[in-house]
Amino acid sequence: MSSVAQQETKKQVADIGEKYKYGFVTDIEMDMAPRGLSEDTVRFISAKKGEPEWMLEWRLGAFRRWLTMKEPKWARVHYPDIDYQNAYYYAAPKNTPLKQSLDEVDPKLLETYKKLGIPLHEQMALAGVAVDAVFDSVSVATTFKGKLNEAGVIFCPISEAIRDYPELVQKYLGSVVPVTDNFFATLNAAVFSDGTFVYVPKGVRCPMELSTYFRINASETGQFERTIIIADEGSYVSYLEGCTAPKRDENQLHAAVVELVALDNAEIKYSTVQNWYPGDENGLGGIFNFVTKRGDCRGVKSKISWTQVETGAALTWKYPSCILRGEGSVGEFYSIAIANNYQQADTGTKMIHLGANTKSRIISKGISAGKAQNTYRGLVSVYGKAKNARNYTQCDSLLIGGECGAHTVPYIESRNPTARIEHEATTSKIAEDQLFYCLARGIPQDEAVSLIVNGFCREVLQQLPMEFAVEAQKLVGISLEGSVG
Amino acid sequence: MTLAVARRAEATALFAAQGVPTRRVEDWKYSDLKSALGEAGIGAQVAQWHVTDLPAGVEQFDLSQANPPGWVIDNFARGTGNVMSAASLALSVGGVALRVPKGAAIADLLKLDFTGPGHVRALLVLEAGASLTLVEGVGLSEFRNVGFEIALGEGAALDHVRVSPADADAVLVEEAHVRLAAGAQYRAHFASFGSRLSRMELEIALEGAKAQAHLSGVSVLDGKRHSDVTTRMIHAVEDTLSTQLFKHVAGGNAKAVYQGKVTVAKGANGSDSNQSAKALLLGEAAEADLKPELEIFADDVKCAHGAAVGDLDADSLFYLRARGIPEAEARGLLLHAFLEDAVAQIANMDQRELVRTELLTALKVIA
Amino acid sequence: MLEIKNLHVSVGDKPILKGLTLSIQPGQVHAIMGPNGSGKSTLSYVLAGRAGYDITEGSITYNGEDLTALPPEERAAKGVFLAMQYPVEIPGVTTMTFLKTALNSQRRTRGESDLDAIGVLKLVRAKAKTLNVSEEMLKRALNVGFSGGEKKRLEILQMALFEPRLAILDETDSGLDIDALKLVAEGVNLLRSPERAMLVITHYQRLLDYIVPDRIHVLAKGRIVAEGGKELALELEAKGYEHILKDVA
Repeated sequence: MSSVAQQETKKQVADIGEKYKYGFVTDIEMDMAPRGLSEDTVRFISAKKGEPEWMLEWRLGAFRRWLTMKEPKWARVHYPDIDYQNAYYYAAPKNTPLKQSLDEVDPKLLETYKKLGIPLHEQMALAGVAVDAVFDSVSVATTFKGKLNEAGVIFCPISEAIRDYPELVQKYLGSVVPVTDNFFATLNAAVFSDGTFVYVPKGVRCPMELSTYFRINASETGQFERTIIIADEGSYVSYLEGCTAPKRDENQLHAAVVELVALDNAEIKYSTVQNWYPGDENGLGGIFNFVTKRGDCRGVKSKISWTQVETGAALTWKYPSCILRGEGSVGEFYSIAIANNYQQADTGTKMIHLGANTKSRIISKGISAGKAQNTYRGLVSVYGKAKNARNYTQCDSLLIGGECGAHTVPYIESRNPTARIEHEATTSKIAEDQLFYCLARGIPQDEAVSLIVNGFCREVLQQLPMEFAVEAQKLVGISLEGSVG
Repeated sequence: MTLAVARRAEATALFAAQGVPTRRVEDWKYSDLKSALGEAGIGAQVAQWHVTDLPAGVEQFDLSQANPPGWVIDNFARGTGNVMSAASLALSVGGVALRVPKGAAIADLLKLDFTGPGHVRALLVLEAGASLTLVEGVGLSEFRNVGFEIALGEGAALDHVRVSPADADAVLVEEAHVRLAAGAQYRAHFASFGSRLSRMELEIALEGAKAQAHLSGVSVLDGKRHSDVTTRMIHAVEDTLSTQLFKHVAGGNAKAVYQGKVTVAKGANGSDSNQSAKALLLGEAAEADLKPELEIFADDVKCAHGAAVGDLDADSLFYLRARGIPEAEARGLLLHAFLEDAVAQIANMDQRELVRTELLTALKVIA
Repeated sequence: MLEIKNLHVSVGDKPILKGLTLSIQPGQVHAIMGPNGSGKSTLSYVLAGRAGYDITEGSITYNGEDLTALPPEERAAKGVFLAMQYPVEIPGVTTMTFLKTALNSQRRTRGESDLDAIGVLKLVRAKAKTLNVSEEMLKRALNVGFSGGEKKRLEILQMALFEPRLAILDETDSGLDIDALKLVAEGVNLLRSPERAMLVITHYQRLLDYIVPDRIHVLAKGRIVAEGGKELALELEAKGYEHILKDVA
């Protein structure tokens, strides 16, 4: 690399903090819970939501349990102690609850989503994607409800589901991620304020992509959403979530829980494009992303496929997992994790093979640049009864620059002689010959990096729904702009 | 003895703070030392060591004696944070130190055996340009903990072969800390037939440019036996090379464990590391746990690992049978073939043959 | 020698062979031709006794004996040899060790005594020469790093060594250039004899230019749909499978 190019890229590195184009704040009047976390906070949230008694009890149980738990420290992420009392656990735009149509939604919110590239109106209609928009603690709009209702698909804010479909919620809430699962999941159980609920009835192929768009807007506020997706026998659903947040010097907490249940022959495809504010080039600010995502392949030949593109957040702690309980069930995890500047990502998956003939596949692509630390942490565990279980894992890391770190921590456990597990991993730097080749053919450096990294990630990008694949590709390029020096 | 008083005090404090590891300790997740030891615990006995026919040119010092020579003082108890190593240092005043002086190429094998229960320390120093083949013998005992330090000077070359025999009751742990100066080579093979708990833990620091370490190992386990190889390979400086190849066959209720962590330190560019760990499960209740780990802080590196668990390849089995080889024999052939590339890593021909013969015997029982 | 009657074979739940009938006498060379997916490889594997192929109907008799009742190694000892389309690579087992083990295993099963190492070596060397299999190849791990041609030559070498009574050649021509093909075909032709039957399975007519069959059967959708002399191969080459399949449909 020539020194001119080096100067140029140094400048770009400095600029990257400026490139987060979702860093604006929407000025809107908010309804907040008092600062801090206590039983009163939990009661406040439950009351705001007009929840039934059983839901409040469930939350309080979780809260009491949480008080006895310790924050997990085993991940390769370093951060100052989080003061759980010095944050807001509920923030909702005033006058928003549960609109019947988009026309009733505050135009400022619609404008916000338009700026985020998620217009809730016409374009999405054209794209045929149904969207649930969650703004801080509440869902502000859900599109396409009518059409989905015709198919029998329930797609609504979880607060609405608690009210309208209590038996479904009671049956599945906490059935995949138990209340006691881990520190952050238990916290979420106590204070979650919204999220999406999806139920796809027997034999129904959901007629469109479902999507939730999460936006953190309010300052000093955590977002705790809970998403539940149930695919009944023989059904299919593809779901995508996107996330952004304003640029702020403070760290904000996001602790979500996602529970998926696939019954006999059902399939759930869950895609995430996570672009929370990553902090600036000095590591100031950014979202702390502590997420528990788990899918339960409860039925025979059921399938759950996770695809994630993780480019944002100052800190990511996330292991979307599959419990392969049903005979012949299939779990997949496709991941791209990009960490630049001072970002820290510790992400991976768990594939728990309980049933016979279960299969899983893990493709992970980690990219580290700047001073970032990027860790793949994964577990493949085959239990004694999982006859003929199969797993294939490919785990590749790419390093851009000598100041970052790339780490791979796979756990492979087999207790069945007929099972087969194969794991391969590589770590290498971005190929200089490839870069040079591109440059020599007149491709500018950033574009060349984007091209090469997109090639490196291709297998994962291919898994994304068409509508989002292009966006994700661009995002991969943008997150790494100026990273080569 | 007065040797390393301060370091012993540190080790005592470390062990007192951490105690005998349980499964809750991440590094001991797959090997439950505390429950394998039961109420007896680790005791405070001093285990024995024995050198058969000390080869000419190798210097030996009994660590329980007074007035250690300078090379012992310089190299003994250089310390790490390893808890069981700390225990052996804290609890044992016995052990052996061996030195191969500068430039000496020792043709005869150095045979070092550890026997009896308790804790024991060993130190092996190869000065610059020296070379040696070490054959380490593992005597059976209800519990033994060996703390082994190996220091290789510039351009020194050590071949190390260790065979851990089968036993249903023994609890055998060993921690080896190997430091390599520039251009030094460490080649080691660990054959294990398993015991109630058997753990070989290696921490290898490649501290000089062009230092290289090549580890290989096989285990054939039957019954309720357990065997754990845990390695930590540290590429501390640039242009260092490491390879690891471990093969396990587990029958019955046996449990094979491989944990290998490769660290490439910041600035250790040109590091090249390859790790492969494979296990075949033959018993309905056998278990394999593999954890090949990479921790990379430099960008100009080539690091790869592969791990696989499975049974014998059905296509190969069919091919052999279709050419007239009966199933049992075909399985034996494939098992042997599975282990062979790791065994082939043993440089010393006689030792290689010995390990091979022991493997064949063990495979006959298991297959 | 080989009588296949109304053979139905399924893999998993999927029927592949659906009523195949075929008879081969000693000294004859039969060819089975057919498009991809017609069941050619299934037939070869069923004859060799590979697991996972369920015979749901019909019979296979070999010299008056029910072949399906025998495990693969006993079939081999009784003279059934399958030259595989994709010979398996086995790292850690040298080719020579494998040949010796296989040869003596077959002898033992037949109640014959083992050949000693030198005896096997002499025998292998003699056969290896004619097939251009080098000493170095014999020292390498079985099929590991062998080229396509080398693998196929080694298959034919084994055929020469084991002297089977029924040799099945599954797509032996696949992946070979013309010189390699000629060499392999010469090796096969040398082994033609009045006591030996051969079943040559191929997609293309090309191989049959060099190994001229007595009889050709066309396999499609799990059944024999056409039969004839060696001229049938030329007709297939000229007009393609579509044509014949249309005629029978």
